[in-house]
Amino acid sequence: MTVIIAVSQVLTRLGIKTFLSVIGIEPEYKELAHLDELDSVIPPGSKSYLIIEQSLLVKPESEYLLNIAKKYSKSKILIIGNRVIKNCPCSHFVLNSDNRQEILEKFQDFFSEKDDTSTVNGAEDILSDRETEVLKEVAKGLANKEIADKLYISINTVITHRKNITEKLGVKTVSALTVYALMNKLITPEEAIK
Amino acid sequence: MSKYTLFSAQMKMADIVYHNYLLIPVLGRFGIKYGFRNRTVEEVCRQYNINTWFFLEIVNAYHNRDYFPTEKLRDFSFSDIIAYLVNTHRYFQKVKIPEIQVFIDKLMNSAPEENSKNIKLLDDFFKKYVEEIDLHFSHEEEDVFPYIEQIGQAIDSGNVAEELIERIINEPIEEYERQHDNLEIKLNDLKNLIIKYLPPHDNVELVQKLLTELFRVEIDLNDHSRIEEKVLVPKVKSFEQSILKKSGVSN
Repeated sequence: MTVIIAVSQVLTRLGIKTFLSVIGIEPEYKELAHLDELDSVIPPGSKSYLIIEQSLLVKPESEYLLNIAKKYSKSKILIIGNRVIKNCPCSHFVLNSDNRQEILEKFQDFFSEKDDTSTVNGAEDILSDRETEVLKEVAKGLANKEIADKLYISINTVITHRKNITEKLGVKTVSALTVYALMNKLITPEEAIK
Repeated sequence: MSKYTLFSAQMKMADIVYHNYLLIPVLGRFGIKYGFRNRTVEEVCRQYNINTWFFLEIVNAYHNRDYFPTEKLRDFSFSDIIAYLVNTHRYFQKVKIPEIQVFIDKLMNSAPEENSKNIKLLDDFFKKYVEEIDLHFSHEEEDVFPYIEQIGQAIDSGNVAEELIERIINEPIEEYERQHDNLEIKLNDLKNLIIKYLPPHDNVELVQKLLTELFRVEIDLNDHSRIEEKVLVPKVKSFEQSILKKSGVSN
């Protein structure tokens, strides 16, 4: 999985990566300071995740975004900026005024597959068998790619499961999920990441 | 008085405490002791050699989440706020964290072996969290605060070093706001693990004390971040801009 971060400031890019690692996303990163380099980092027809700073967009923004969305039709786009852009093909916006919680949830949304069958249903907060499987692997310290390979599912499905797990359990960090898994004897202390 | 009350220099210092007891640790970090009688905020501040405007800035920002400092109130020196923030770091490290650790130790020692293992997991989790806090604080004290002092000195003296301009361009203060995220999420996780998943412990009172303490520290830490983000960062930002402007880097 490839995440392209088109943001002018180095430290903002670092901040984004920190957030993604909190929700357990460890992709291959490509970083840009300008959008005109997009062609060189996205192979034609590939599925990528584009995180774009609003101020890098050429005006009119919605038209410009439409072109990007057409050109890289398999990719998903998230905009970071001051406000939501109207009439544009992109529905993911992280705003400068968002607090940590909101940013975290928006990133989780961005990376999860909406049409995946395993969504959180109502007040039910018990993990499904599949989610328990994923949780065990997370607690053992496996990366999403490794979990996907091991359980024969796509990385996006792993991410969706992880999103549902953190929502159901109310704990978000990998170390807290590991504590949960140990307390409930889902894994042995030897298996846990240190 | 409502939660939107602004504390002022002519108010009685005692009224601040009556009004919001959560400010007790804040007063402590300023080194203010009790027995105010009817002295005003200004009088007590003078007695302790504290910049009154700065004191008001901090208590108001703590008291009212939506409080945003006015230009007038931003008129204090960087050394004032940095000294205060470093004091706050020490307060967390030397007072709050050891207090919480004592509760965790007591819980661990008074539980039957099976549950004691569970508490040991929380203990390890908390210790790792403390390591991260220490790292974060030392990064601020060794890197961010000295940078801010340099900005202040450059403004005062009118001399701007080439390296400073470079740092303003490449690593402006704006970026540092984002670093509190992970710490707050971890603390919240710890609370949730205790509230929802730690098997019941017989010493209910001890668990209550630990939880209450964790909630308080969380509020205190969030407010601490807010002071950095709302009081310190805007001032540094405007200084950065004026340095760049003066050196002809931006217009």
